[in-house]
Amino acid sequence: MTIALERPVSTHAQSLARGIHSEWIKVRTLRSTWIGLATVVVIMIGFGALAAAMATGSVTDPGGDGGPPFAGAGPLGTALSGANLAVLLVGVLGSLAGAREYGSRMITATVTTMPRRWQVIVAKSAALAAVMIPTAVIAVMGAYGVAMGILGANGNATVALTDDGVLSSLLGMVGYLVAVAVLGLCLGSLLRSVAGSIGTVVGGLLIVPALASALLPDSWDKVLQLLPSSAAASFTEVGMAGGSTLSAGAGAAVLIGWVVALMAGAVVAIHRRDV
Amino acid sequence: MIELERLTKKYGAKTAVDGISATIKPGIITGFLGPNGAGKSTTMRMIVGLDRPTSGTALVNGNRYAATRAPLAEVGALLDAKAVDGGRSARNHLLALGATVGIGKRRVEDVLASVGLTDVAHRPAKSFSLGMGQRLGIAAALLAEPDVLLLDEPVNGLDIDGIQWIRELLGELAADGRTVLLSSHLMTEMQLVADHLIVIGQGRILADSSIQDFIEESGGGSAVVVVSPDAGLLAPLLAGDGVTLTTREPGRFEVRGRTAPEIGDIASGHSLRIHELTPTQASLETAYLQLTQDSVEYAGTTRKAA
Repeated sequence: MTIALERPVSTHAQSLARGIHSEWIKVRTLRSTWIGLATVVVIMIGFGALAAAMATGSVTDPGGDGGPPFAGAGPLGTALSGANLAVLLVGVLGSLAGAREYGSRMITATVTTMPRRWQVIVAKSAALAAVMIPTAVIAVMGAYGVAMGILGANGNATVALTDDGVLSSLLGMVGYLVAVAVLGLCLGSLLRSVAGSIGTVVGGLLIVPALASALLPDSWDKVLQLLPSSAAASFTEVGMAGGSTLSAGAGAAVLIGWVVALMAGAVVAIHRRDV
Repeated sequence: MIELERLTKKYGAKTAVDGISATIKPGIITGFLGPNGAGKSTTMRMIVGLDRPTSGTALVNGNRYAATRAPLAEVGALLDAKAVDGGRSARNHLLALGATVGIGKRRVEDVLASVGLTDVAHRPAKSFSLGMGQRLGIAAALLAEPDVLLLDEPVNGLDIDGIQWIRELLGELAADGRTVLLSSHLMTEMQLVADHLIVIGQGRILADSSIQDFIEESGGGSAVVVVSPDAGLLAPLLAGDGVTLTTREPGRFEVRGRTAPEIGDIASGHSLRIHELTPTQASLETAYLQLTQDSVEYAGTTRKAA
């Protein structure tokens, strides 16, 4: 049992690309990644299908008055009924991606192999986005396709991808899911705690918007538009918690601003703090 | 080579490492000793940049660690063998670490084989025993054949085969011209393995010398254990300038300041019986305890019979 020195080992300079490769290996070799991603897809498509079925009246709410409960939402809103829950789940997955290494202390190995630490945040975000983007596309487009199929088969109104704003709304939802995952990752890295990060994601996306719009005077509306969930509502056109009066472009810019700000915070923090 | 220059780490008002300067040379094994809380781990963590020094510098082969081209190939560190994501297999853990410097499957398999983990490499790391986890940590440290090795308690949890293997391995690595800094609480192990010693207590260097000098200078020096049924008669005859006698139990005492042949000759000159005459070398443990007794931060107390 000796260390094999006979076969020389060739090593290369550590770079961001190699860091991303390393994080990509980490992401795909955890079973929890695939379980979480599959759950996102199941939730989006499942809720879309259920809502569509209820809208057609073929499935009814046993406690309700028998009327179609989703009558108020347009076909697109119906298809994306699972969005709120999927967004939360994606935030949880992001939090795990950002904080789980602090729980296991694996972060010491990560930072030792990538001592230019900003790369850790960027590489982790890139690896997460690499699995999150296709997942979100499958989930959102799947929910759209299944819901439209159910609605159309029962003679309800449907929307086509070519209809005004439909494709951009769906892509907006894909973008929102990916953005929330990265927000969760940055929060997880900042807070170094899976639980704390999940709490912040849920609070920030669900509780704060709801509470704030209920409790704060109307004059605060302009500020509340800048919350991530409100900003996202401007380009997903799905009634998220709190409506939006921002234009789609402005909303997207605000959300990107959140991602950039949190990522910058995570980068500064990982450089300044001991691991 | 590792160069520490007035390296200091403070946590609030508490100083964990207090201005350490030392050069850890290549080609030999340097033992890093000190009581719990003396600052060994903090020093090692600062060398690879996990902790930021409050002041002072730590250089690896002349560079700051964070500025090295291929960090994993520069320093192999085993600081905490449990710092592994338990959900990932050992093989994938090494693949992920190796990817940062372009190391692939072949080398990972080589290292897995050399630490004896090939058969369990597919299992999630959380199912590993302490010893297996330690082997995985060693595999990670060796992965890119680094010039410098930092090993914090590497034999912790290893079985006797593993300890012997690590001993040989460290010897090979040093003979190969690498820099090896090794901390351990096991004095006998350290005495067997290390060529040079750095001892710290309360964040300061107490000794930085070859292991031989360290033991000799500790004042322990060599002694001769004498067992004799005529101890009561023999002892006064041995007394003299610079000679100390210590009695541990009736009929058995320790002599410093006289050699075994002298003692034997004196005894036979007076027709006194000797059953045992054993020259002893002070152990590293004794020397270490003598040096650090004043700088132990977390001392246990034992009730002594009055």
